[in-house]
Amino acid sequence: MFDIDVLLPDLWSILGAVPVTLAMALTIFVFATIIGSLFALIEHRRVPVLRELVVAYKVAFKGVPMVVVIFLAYYGLPPALQFLASLVGVKFNAHATPNWVILIVALTACVAAFQAEIVKGALNSFDTGQADAAHSLGYKSSQLFRRILLPQVIVAAIPDLANSFMVIMKALSLGFAIEVVDIFAQAQLTAALNFYYLEAFVIAVVIYMVIAYIVTHIADRTERALRVRT
Amino acid sequence: MDLNTMIPELLSALPLTLAIMFVALIVGFCLALIATTFRVRRVPVISQLADLYVSYARSVPVVLQLFVAFYGLPLLVSLFGVEDFLSATIAAMVGLSLYHGGYLSEVMRPAYLAVDRGQHDAADSLGYTFRQKVTRIVGPQAVYIALPGYGNSIIYLIHNVALVMYIGAADVMATAHLVMERDYNQYQFETYVVLAVIYSLLCLIAWLIVRFFELRSSKFAPKAAAPAKITIMASV
Repeated sequence: MFDIDVLLPDLWSILGAVPVTLAMALTIFVFATIIGSLFALIEHRRVPVLRELVVAYKVAFKGVPMVVVIFLAYYGLPPALQFLASLVGVKFNAHATPNWVILIVALTACVAAFQAEIVKGALNSFDTGQADAAHSLGYKSSQLFRRILLPQVIVAAIPDLANSFMVIMKALSLGFAIEVVDIFAQAQLTAALNFYYLEAFVIAVVIYMVIAYIVTHIADRTERALRVRT
Repeated sequence: MDLNTMIPELLSALPLTLAIMFVALIVGFCLALIATTFRVRRVPVISQLADLYVSYARSVPVVLQLFVAFYGLPLLVSLFGVEDFLSATIAAMVGLSLYHGGYLSEVMRPAYLAVDRGQHDAADSLGYTFRQKVTRIVGPQAVYIALPGYGNSIIYLIHNVALVMYIGAADVMATAHLVMERDYNQYQFETYVVLAVIYSLLCLIAWLIVRFFELRSSKFAPKAAAPAKITIMASV
């Protein structure tokens, strides 16, 4: 039942989807980290009304499965965009939005909630005594941020950020429901051509595990290289 | 769209979702206990296998794990010469149990290691066996550390039960698809909003239960110790 001969052609076929998946994951990672950092900053600075909104956002996105969020974006985003465009008076066919854009928007919205948590944790690990020292030495807030806070916070967040990159890679596999082809969807398509389902999925499992191994390895090495020795 | 008929229909599929969830919870917990034991005790070959299992459960998407269980189980069963009795529901239970076990093991192991080193040493020097050490000294303290992570893993298990529809188990999501198609796909967005509310409520209930135990177990909290760092991370 398990045919060894189809493994190699399947591998080549599925490997073709790896660059697209990585590119989409990287895009989502960058956007989600930027938005998450903004959220974390709002919570850290205790901005009055925005803070409650951020908390509500995080609670909402923690309770709803990502599949449901993706489907909500798939059915809700184009009409919403169309409405906004008509409000401004721009001629724009939002229903022609490609599916991969919708997937990226949906996953960015989901992951931003978790990135906010990570950045907040990293900000909390920052020793406030250092901030006092910097202020007493006459640093401006921008200098404090750039020279003292940022380098330490980034190093503290590296393991979690690598973890969240893997989460994004895995979450992209839900995109096959709205016809976005990533590693998992490519495995399904390959299997549909020759009916060797288990073989294609085993190849996909191996590819995911190898990518995870490489990502954690890179994260470990960067962290070790950047951490200040004390 | 008629909410009065739709919500009871969706809820009629809830028992299956909950059944898959509870089976995965219980079997996954046992699997996690076994895997964690092997990983902290460093038995030569079995520990590496346990590590491999945990990294499989954590780095492969749950959809893919479900499909592997769905197509792999019949093969496994036929190797033992048993008649193929497996349905999509059983495959979903097996797949999610494997996933939950691996994920939970990565909650338990840091909690075990986060217990103060001196406690381990004291238990060892008093001649406690591994089982006595875990049940009497390290376990109760580790429970307090692990509970927030355990609550998270339950919430993600609830999220991931929504994926069993793809291998053909008739859970709430699949029922929602039936309902939508009967209405000629007019109210898809609204139906998914209802689904989102249902899943949020399930997660809220699970969170409240775990929170209750968290407050109760705080008497095991180590005095004047820094709270252990928990990574709250999604898992798909």
